[in-house]
Amino acid sequence: MPTFLTEEQELMRQTAREFAKNEVAPVAKQLDETHEFPWAWVKRCAELGFLGIPIPEEYGGVGADALSEALIIEEIAKESGSLALIIDAHTSLGAMPLLFEGTEAQKQKYLVPAAKGEKLMSFGLTEPSAGSDAGGTKSTAVLDGDEWVLNGSKCWITNIGAAETYIVTAKTDPDKGNRGISAFILEKGTPGFEVGKLENKMGLNNSATGELIFKNVRIPKENLLGKLNRGFPLFLKGLDEGRLAISAMAVGMAQGVLDRAVAYSKERVQFGKPICKFQAIAFYLADMATEIELARTLLYRVARMHGAGQNFSKEVAILKYYASEMCVRVCNLGVQIFGGNGYSRDFEVERFYRDAKLLTIGEGTSEVCKIVISGNVLA
Amino acid sequence: MANIVVCYKWVLDEQDIKVNPGNLALDTSRAKSKISDYDRNAIEEAVLLNEKDGHKVTGLTFGVAGAKQSLKDALSRGPAEAVWVNDPVAAEADAFVTANVLAGALKKVGNYDVIICGEGAADTYAQQVGPRLAAVLGIPAITFVNQMSIEGDKVVATRKLGDCTETVTASFPVVVTVLPEINKPRIPSLKQVLGASKKPVTEIKLADLGLNPDDLKRKTTVKSLKGYAMTRKNVIYKDGSTAEKVAKLVAELAKEGAL
Ligand SMILES: Cc1cc2nc3c(=O)[nH]c(=O)nc-3n(C[C@H](O)[C@H](O)[C@H](O)COP(=O)(O)OP(=O)(O)OC[C@H]3O[C@@H](n4cnc5c(N)ncnc54)[C@H](O)[C@@H]3O)c2cc1C
Repeated sequence: MPTFLTEEQELMRQTAREFAKNEVAPVAKQLDETHEFPWAWVKRCAELGFLGIPIPEEYGGVGADALSEALIIEEIAKESGSLALIIDAHTSLGAMPLLFEGTEAQKQKYLVPAAKGEKLMSFGLTEPSAGSDAGGTKSTAVLDGDEWVLNGSKCWITNIGAAETYIVTAKTDPDKGNRGISAFILEKGTPGFEVGKLENKMGLNNSATGELIFKNVRIPKENLLGKLNRGFPLFLKGLDEGRLAISAMAVGMAQGVLDRAVAYSKERVQFGKPICKFQAIAFYLADMATEIELARTLLYRVARMHGAGQNFSKEVAILKYYASEMCVRVCNLGVQIFGGNGYSRDFEVERFYRDAKLLTIGEGTSEVCKIVISGNVLA
Repeated sequence: MANIVVCYKWVLDEQDIKVNPGNLALDTSRAKSKISDYDRNAIEEAVLLNEKDGHKVTGLTFGVAGAKQSLKDALSRGPAEAVWVNDPVAAEADAFVTANVLAGALKKVGNYDVIICGEGAADTYAQQVGPRLAAVLGIPAITFVNQMSIEGDKVVATRKLGDCTETVTASFPVVVTVLPEINKPRIPSLKQVLGASKKPVTEIKLADLGLNPDDLKRKTTVKSLKGYAMTRKNVIYKDGSTAEKVAKLVAELAKEGAL
């Protein structure tokens, strides 16, 4: 796989690969069954620097570029989509908005412990009435003296309960749609701020996803993140980060399935020969490899655009749309190659198949990505 | 404080080597390289000793131009600096040549108290470089080590032998070759990876070591290099008692000359 990476990028990838192979792979299946939050993995990710990859060193992070982060998420996703999603929600969605818009005091208080991996982060935008359409946000924040008072609820939020610091959105001007939304920093344990029930998910069993509830939550005035009523552009910027991470997850998970399918197809014998000797199966593998390589090529290119400081909103929407749908297609073929065993919880492709479907939904559905892409194409 | 030098070899990753099923030729065109696994134990042991008592750890490798890539990898695992003898001769070097070159490099660098090597290399596993290096330098070698410590100017090491262990002591300078079971090498963190580029590297040319041309002529010749294929006969002895089945198996193996 010639990828023209720097020595550092290769070595960082090697670190992630070794961690994924030695420490994630052996217990991934078992943890998927228990649905528990993988604290041991998260602790190791903190030690290895995986929870602050793109955050500058001065704020406790590693200070690596977007491509390095993509490489690391790719390696982890080959073994566990859940862990990759935990890292994505923490870093891309949670920590990056703090880096973009946080005041120096906010960065010292919240970004530094996040980047060091001492405190996990979570990002809450989605609400029962606000999914693809953030304008439907019903949670409110009202200034009362020196404090904001938040009311409302969020759903489908990743890292709930595990996270110590939450970036959440709320309406600060109910009449203004997207232009009336602001972002706030909330600490776990603030009175009135509750973690609600966990969603009963199809996959990604180790990432805690669910509700946040705000009942007259009072937070200091200085916990407004960024400018008043400018939460929408801030989280759009964060979602661009997230789309890159989700795409890295898609490439990694698809590669994980291809590797497993290749091995299985060489071992499984039917009609007197390994099934990889049947052209139908060999061509499935060829299709999978082709699609993965295309997505990976685009992933690295978009990551490099990001690293070079270019606007990559259109390209990352194209990438996210293609890579996530690609991953679902590859997982589907992976299960097919495994036959009945593909449908069994004892073989891992079934887990990847379940986990992959989130990719076409979270952080902008495929349809929303196409709205972004077509908007750019037609502009 | 001791000066610990760890020797490591930059080898092809055997997982990337493909064997042509027809003529058993090896295809290494897509193989990446790595630090020989056993040498990672050697590096880890040096780093552990440093963490315990505070020593200076230097990585030393003899390799071709491509081995430049190994330096940051090695340094990310903890040594404070690295020395690289860069020469194409390394591609064809056997244990005799390698030991001569490493000894030359050590003499040039000067200060060495403890030299740690892996028991063997991940590619050839000839287990010769360590003992030969000690012989060239005229210092003791302690091999098959599964536990070691530094006490003053001595190394105390436990050797794992066929049916017993033996604890030995040797004064500096000394070569120690370690077994994989001595430790579990750590995975370097991202910060260690990025920090590696800030550590000093000394590149030495073979010509600067003042070695005699005979020291660089390999003593062994490679006649051919092939992958091996395990062909199974899939014979199952089903009938009869266990004793009869064993007897049949033994008779068959004897007939084939396997016993
Ligand atoms: C596992 C998981 C983790 C998540 N983690 C987080 C998180 O950490 N933080 C967070 O804020 N959210 C999170 N989400 C929520 C996620 O971002 C939303 O589910 C997603 O944005 C879609 O919103 P929705 O579910 O309300 O679907 P809807 O918006 O109701 O969409 C339903 C369907 O309608 C389509 N649709 C909607 N509008 C249009 C349109 N204008 N044109 C064409 N088609 C349209 C959609 O594409 C989709 O197919 C998570 C979701 C999941 C499943």
